[in-house]
Amino acid sequence: MSKKYETETPSYTMTTVMEEAARCLLCHDAPCSQACPAHTDPGKFIRSVRFRNVKGAAETIRENNALGAICARVCPTEKYCELACSRTGIDSPIDIGGIQRYVTDFEQQAKMDILKKGDSNGKTIAIVGSGPAGLQTATTMLERGYAVDIYEKSEKAGGYLTYGIPEYRLPQDIVDFEIKRIVNLGADIHYNVTVGKDITMDDLKANHDAVVVAVGASEAKSLSIFAGNDYVESAVDFLARVKDAKGDITDVPQNAVVIGGGDVAMDVATTLKRLDAKNVTDVAYEEFDEFRASKKELEGTRKAGVTIVDGYVPSAVDDNVVTFKHRKIDSELKIKADKIILAIGQQINADNLGINIERGVVPYVGYKTEDPKVYITGDIAKGDQTVVWAVRKGKKVADLVDQTLLGGTK
Amino acid sequence: MIDKDLSVDFMGVHFENPFLLSSSPVGNCYDMCAKAFDEGWGGVVFKTIGPKHFKIDEVSPRFDELTKEGTPFVGFKNMEQIAEHPLEENLHDLKKLKENYPDKIVVASIMGTNEEDWEELAQLVTEAKADMIEMNLSCPQMTSHEMGSDVGTNPELVKKYCAAVKRGSDLPMMAKMTPNITDMVPAAKASMDGGADGIATINTVKSISNIDLDKKVALPIVNGKSSISGFSGKAVKPIALRFIQQLRTAAGMELLPISGIGGIETWQDAAEFILLGATTLQVTTSVMQYGYRIVEDMKNGLMHYMEEQHVDHLSDLIGLATKNIVPAEDLDRDYKVYPKIDWDKCIGCGRCYISCFDGAHQAITWDEEKRRPSVNINRCVGCQLCNLVCPVGAITTGEKVMKPGRQGKAEDKQVDSSRLTHF
Ligand SMILES: Cc1cc2nc3c(=O)[nH]c(=O)nc-3n(C[C@H](O)[C@H](O)[C@H](O)COP(=O)(O)OP(=O)(O)OC[C@H]3O[C@@H](n4cnc5c(N)ncnc54)[C@H](O)[C@@H]3O)c2cc1C
Ligand SMILES: Cc1cc2nc3c(=O)[nH]c(=O)nc-3n(C[C@H](O)[C@H](O)[C@H](O)COP(=O)(O)O)c2cc1C
Ligand code: SF4
Ligand code: SF4
Ligand code: SF4
Repeated sequence: MSKKYETETPSYTMTTVMEEAARCLLCHDAPCSQACPAHTDPGKFIRSVRFRNVKGAAETIRENNALGAICARVCPTEKYCELACSRTGIDSPIDIGGIQRYVTDFEQQAKMDILKKGDSNGKTIAIVGSGPAGLQTATTMLERGYAVDIYEKSEKAGGYLTYGIPEYRLPQDIVDFEIKRIVNLGADIHYNVTVGKDITMDDLKANHDAVVVAVGASEAKSLSIFAGNDYVESAVDFLARVKDAKGDITDVPQNAVVIGGGDVAMDVATTLKRLDAKNVTDVAYEEFDEFRASKKELEGTRKAGVTIVDGYVPSAVDDNVVTFKHRKIDSELKIKADKIILAIGQQINADNLGINIERGVVPYVGYKTEDPKVYITGDIAKGDQTVVWAVRKGKKVADLVDQTLLGGTK
Repeated sequence: MIDKDLSVDFMGVHFENPFLLSSSPVGNCYDMCAKAFDEGWGGVVFKTIGPKHFKIDEVSPRFDELTKEGTPFVGFKNMEQIAEHPLEENLHDLKKLKENYPDKIVVASIMGTNEEDWEELAQLVTEAKADMIEMNLSCPQMTSHEMGSDVGTNPELVKKYCAAVKRGSDLPMMAKMTPNITDMVPAAKASMDGGADGIATINTVKSISNIDLDKKVALPIVNGKSSISGFSGKAVKPIALRFIQQLRTAAGMELLPISGIGGIETWQDAAEFILLGATTLQVTTSVMQYGYRIVEDMKNGLMHYMEEQHVDHLSDLIGLATKNIVPAEDLDRDYKVYPKIDWDKCIGCGRCYISCFDGAHQAITWDEEKRRPSVNINRCVGCQLCNLVCPVGAITTGEKVMKPGRQGKAEDKQVDSSRLTHF
């Protein structure tokens, strides 16, 4: 694997994590804990680190968040816990993600087995999709004594954890390890099964007490001007291809243009640079002050040497020459590239799943659908489309299913 | 979440866990003790109750802290005496605590000025349904020399007052010792002779923590003056551990029941006291700094430690380290162990080089170009100072060698500690 593609930033050592934990003010009713969508409870686990109880810290993280080691790496903390951190009033927020990473690494090294399967209650749940939402739903259901079958259309589990987020931000080893915990807990994952094609929703409903649909937004959006253009590839296809090949792809372009201003566009542009593409230009519709990409990602992308142009929209394409127009001023930009990658968003594909999609989104407010046996969660349900929200939604839907079937055991 | 048996039996009383608030403002009244119980403490030693005739009159301000680099509360100085609340109120609180928390342990701390006081107070707290008595023979800042550490350093008085308490009550009783003494054994023995069932130690260490450089007065400044008074918190832990070791190795005191006190703030501190022979543990300063909630990590961390040690009952750990602390003349002086530097981990800060040159034996060579240390074994004495100062754990114990002319196998020498990697 290309060293540049794979290398994660270094983690804390025992000494430095104590220094960071010592910066924490150990707030009463910690604002960070309130701000974590998944209630991972950073206020509590940082306090445990401060009092030299890393094992206790690991328990807090794992019991609240089945993907704690993943969230530690990919969470846009600046929007959640760290945004709320009281320490910001003095200088800068506590590096909550970094401390979480230290603790979950420790958990793995110490071979801790924290999650426990509940006593069987005889009920069985089918989950469609093994992305973070499906995985968390499975964990909570297993902890409460339900049997869980996960149906996954791909060869590997993890959804965008496996086929989206690049290796240098989220090593596949970590994803595999987290999934293994959940499999060890009792999740039965059926790979290469597309629900709605290889097996029907009716089959699932007949054999399970409830079906939770967690198919994510797995289809790339496109623009009509790019239809049928051989130079064009979607961001998610490109990232999945690179991740699957562990960075070993043969068609790294010399000149690439990436279209989009979100984290996915940043991931594509940075990945290209790490694979030694010479010139990478990212053109975004948004202007910098309204950018969707997180600060951390934007900064990383800039550091990697990507040219970022903001405020331009693609207006025409002639083979491999794309013309962009500025949204507000009278300005045009032409870029010739050997590869055009579109990172303009993903949409839901819920074919044959009996799920209503209206203008790209589900019309349901919570996790229920009109079919009393069918629930939704993850990116297709209302709320942020991030991993930590997928965890939150997984916990919530599991709670709802449990309430409905057995009146709630916890 | 891990769940293990933390319960202990101490002087005939069963504790659900060994953690108690030590006698101090952290257990000043009913509401405080109730909150502490709710947050998981196994017991409280209520703030020391004195006789009615002794008028408490406290100073303001009354605390100071010792800091080091960025760390607050390395040690804590206080000028408080005993309970400020009226005797009746304290007795009422003790009673109510026991009524509402029958499974928790309520210890009454008392202090008198003469035998009659001690006997009467013992009677009163027994009537208030306390589970145990602790005699405060150790507060170093009493305004009367008939009280506190002036009494605790005098074995005759100690014995007399212990006997008085025993006349007043059948409850299990421990005598709380002062560390402001060269040898604690005579005072502890005197208290046992007087009828004490166990020892609580330590109370605070007489101290001056800081001096205000403009005003030329020690802190805290009480209308322009200050006094020597008691020091507590993390900095006194080594002193407390030493006294406990000396008590438990004195002839005839090997099984002495001890309530360990002094600088406990993490589960590791707690485990250390237990390994040296303490059965219960008492805490004040870290609670004053962080609140009752610290008991959560102390209990949980101790459970994980028990799991690692494969023990089901906390009591199985009591005193396991005592025998491994021997007089300095009995230590093996036949070998030395060199440091081993891991260059992959080294970040090139040069701290080991500085410390070895300026504080040890000039045995580290510094490659200025590569910013890399290496050990010159011809000079290295194996003190492992470099190991302690390395900020990234790049230095560990390495090769062991026998000193010239000594017998034995260097490989068999045990020098590794999990203390640093254990976290
Ligand atoms: C490139 C990229 C980078 C990202 N970076 C971050 C980040 O740094 N931080 C962050 O918080 N979030 C990030 N996200 C968003 C995050 O990955 C998603 O919000 C999250 O994965 C959504 O989880 P999910 O379980 O709902 O869906 P997904 O992860 O999309 O998983 C859905 C799963 O369902 C399967 N599936 C779909 N249809 C069927 C079917 N019919 N039958 C069976 N299986 C099916 C899919 O194969 C997939 O495995 C990123 C997304 C992308 C694309
Ligand atoms: C503010 C303050 C008041 C104290 N008051 C008492 C007291 O009334 N009776 C007593 O026996 N010890 C008293 N102590 C001593 C503590 O109970 C304890 O022995 C000592 O502080 C060491 O423990 P620590 O390091 O956990 O604080 C007091 C300590 C402090 C800091
Ligand atoms: S808000 Fe910040 S300072 Fe406060 S407890 Fe959380 S991490 Fe610590
Ligand atoms: S700690 Fe409380 S009692 Fe003490 S000075 Fe501050 S406010 Fe007053
Ligand atoms: S102290 Fe540690 S990091 Fe610094 S030079 Fe020595 S080995 Fe390297």
